Amino acid sequence: MTAAAGRVQAGLSYTILVVLALMVLFPFYWMTVTSFKSEDQMRSLVSMFWPKPFATENYAQLVHKTDFVAWYKNSVFVAVSSTLLATSVGTVGAYALARLKFFGRGFLASATLITYLVPPSILFIPLYAQMRNLGLANSLSGLIAAYPSFTVPFVTWLLMGYFESIPEELEEAAMIDGATRFGAFWRIVLPLSMPGVLAAGLYAFTQAWNEFLYALVFITDGKLRTLPVGLASFITGDVYGWGYLMSGAVLTTLPVIAAYIYLQKYMVEGLTAGSVKG
Amino acid sequence: MAISTAQLPGALTHRPKRGGFRRVLGPDHRMGYLFVTPIALFVLSLIAYPFGYALYLSMTHKLVGLPPVFVGFENYIRLTWDGFFQRAVVNSFIFTFGSVGFKMVLGVVMALVLTSNIRWRSFWTGVLLIPWVAPTVVSALNFLWIFDGSLGVLNYLLVRVFHILPQGVGWLSEPGTAMASVVAVNIWRGFPFFGISFLAGMKAIPIELYEAAAVDGAGTLQRFRHVTLPGLKNIMIIVVLLSTIWTFNDFQIVYILTKGGPGGTTMVMPVLTYETAFGAQRLGEAIAVALYLLPALAVTIMVLARYMRKGRKR
Repeated sequence: MTAAAGRVQAGLSYTILVVLALMVLFPFYWMTVTSFKSEDQMRSLVSMFWPKPFATENYAQLVHKTDFVAWYKNSVFVAVSSTLLATSVGTVGAYALARLKFFGRGFLASATLITYLVPPSILFIPLYAQMRNLGLANSLSGLIAAYPSFTVPFVTWLLMGYFESIPEELEEAAMIDGATRFGAFWRIVLPLSMPGVLAAGLYAFTQAWNEFLYALVFITDGKLRTLPVGLASFITGDVYGWGYLMSGAVLTTLPVIAAYIYLQKYMVEGLTAGSVKG
Repeated sequence: MAISTAQLPGALTHRPKRGGFRRVLGPDHRMGYLFVTPIALFVLSLIAYPFGYALYLSMTHKLVGLPPVFVGFENYIRLTWDGFFQRAVVNSFIFTFGSVGFKMVLGVVMALVLTSNIRWRSFWTGVLLIPWVAPTVVSALNFLWIFDGSLGVLNYLLVRVFHILPQGVGWLSEPGTAMASVVAVNIWRGFPFFGISFLAGMKAIPIELYEAAAVDGAGTLQRFRHVTLPGLKNIMIIVVLLSTIWTFNDFQIVYILTKGGPGGTTMVMPVLTYETAFGAQRLGEAIAVALYLLPALAVTIMVLARYMRKGRKR
């Protein structure tokens, strides 16, 4: 490639990157700007792209006049509990399906993959009926019990790929040295797989944090809502209150984006390993 | 790790014991079954059982709070001739294939740009992945606000800043633009997954193939067509099928943006399922809506699972 052609190509690449990045970031920029505007600024279309002055009343209203704080606690509780549950169950299960030799392994591995692909939209009504029969409808425990339906198959599938990529010789050597089968898993494979387990856990967390359909259907008590359903409930009234809705949106997005920025490397690897592997 | 010969005999007898169970169930069966039991319990109780129950309920008249009455395929037969349901099926296909097509194109563009000679590659990758990580409800609410007919920033930009339109458009409230708007949001949210998957696929194509093609006189376009595309074939099939399933069953975006309106122009099957179940309170019929295309879903899942397992074995 000549130098000129290289420059043209680089220019084209950067142009496309900037356009895509603007497209991707604009809604978040707009959400943040809106959250700092007063009702008047919004209605009269003044200081459109940068709030002048910055108004913090939306955040105050959100915290004091809505159930936002309760929803935040609910979301943290549900997402953390179901993540711990799914990651531990998925990790040991994935190890067994990837490495251990026992009758029925192939069938179980296929079954796990297939359940990962079954969409929630055909499960939410029977799950709701089931939770109601168990007395878990309209409770956070019901959500914690239901979320493994999508987090466990996902974590298992992701980690199966991870365990398969660790050389079997390491475990064999450990067992020749006298380690038990469990010891080889616990002391050799698991520490080596920590980045994978971390990525899987993060994804399980974001999926649980972002989940909408089950939370919408199972929870009827306004105080027991999770953040996504709580935020969406702001638009069912006549007055939309975009200011505090957007401030709630900012606070809901923050933990996910913060975790993502901090652990981007693991998450990008996890994402590609989770569905496809090159 | 040093191999201690003293322990070798013991270690060797550890595995090939000639017990009956061990031979039939495999050398690691005890730890294996112990480890997979929790998964099996979750899969049975949260997926297999509800799925079976759904199949049964779809063949009943079930009203909330009343016991189900078995009616066979009546729900399915009635739906087949129901104009509103037919429209939802058509809308679901438009929504899905419109979205998946554009996500595919944008995904290829994103992967090509990210593999080209640029600085701060991981920064750009990170930025472009944000829509995929951010809560979908938040994104949908953002677009609801952006598309707002009177105070939305899209109309502000098009009318007052760039003077492209004489007056604002009710993007989500007019039948002509509602479907395109919800499709656009779905594309926005989903294209990074295509891009990052293709990126991983491109990195796995051996550089020698490109060099060989260049030696043979292939230009940039020819290398893309004859090296990149064939190398990505499997990943493309997997990603398109995955995204087709996810998009077809996408509930949040449409529910938040339009609830299926205006006048049913964006009513897709998952939203119709929800409305039939919790608006009209007809559970049996609602599940029949959700399961109507089950044969097609089952075939898609089987094909996809086969490709995904094949992709792993390489």
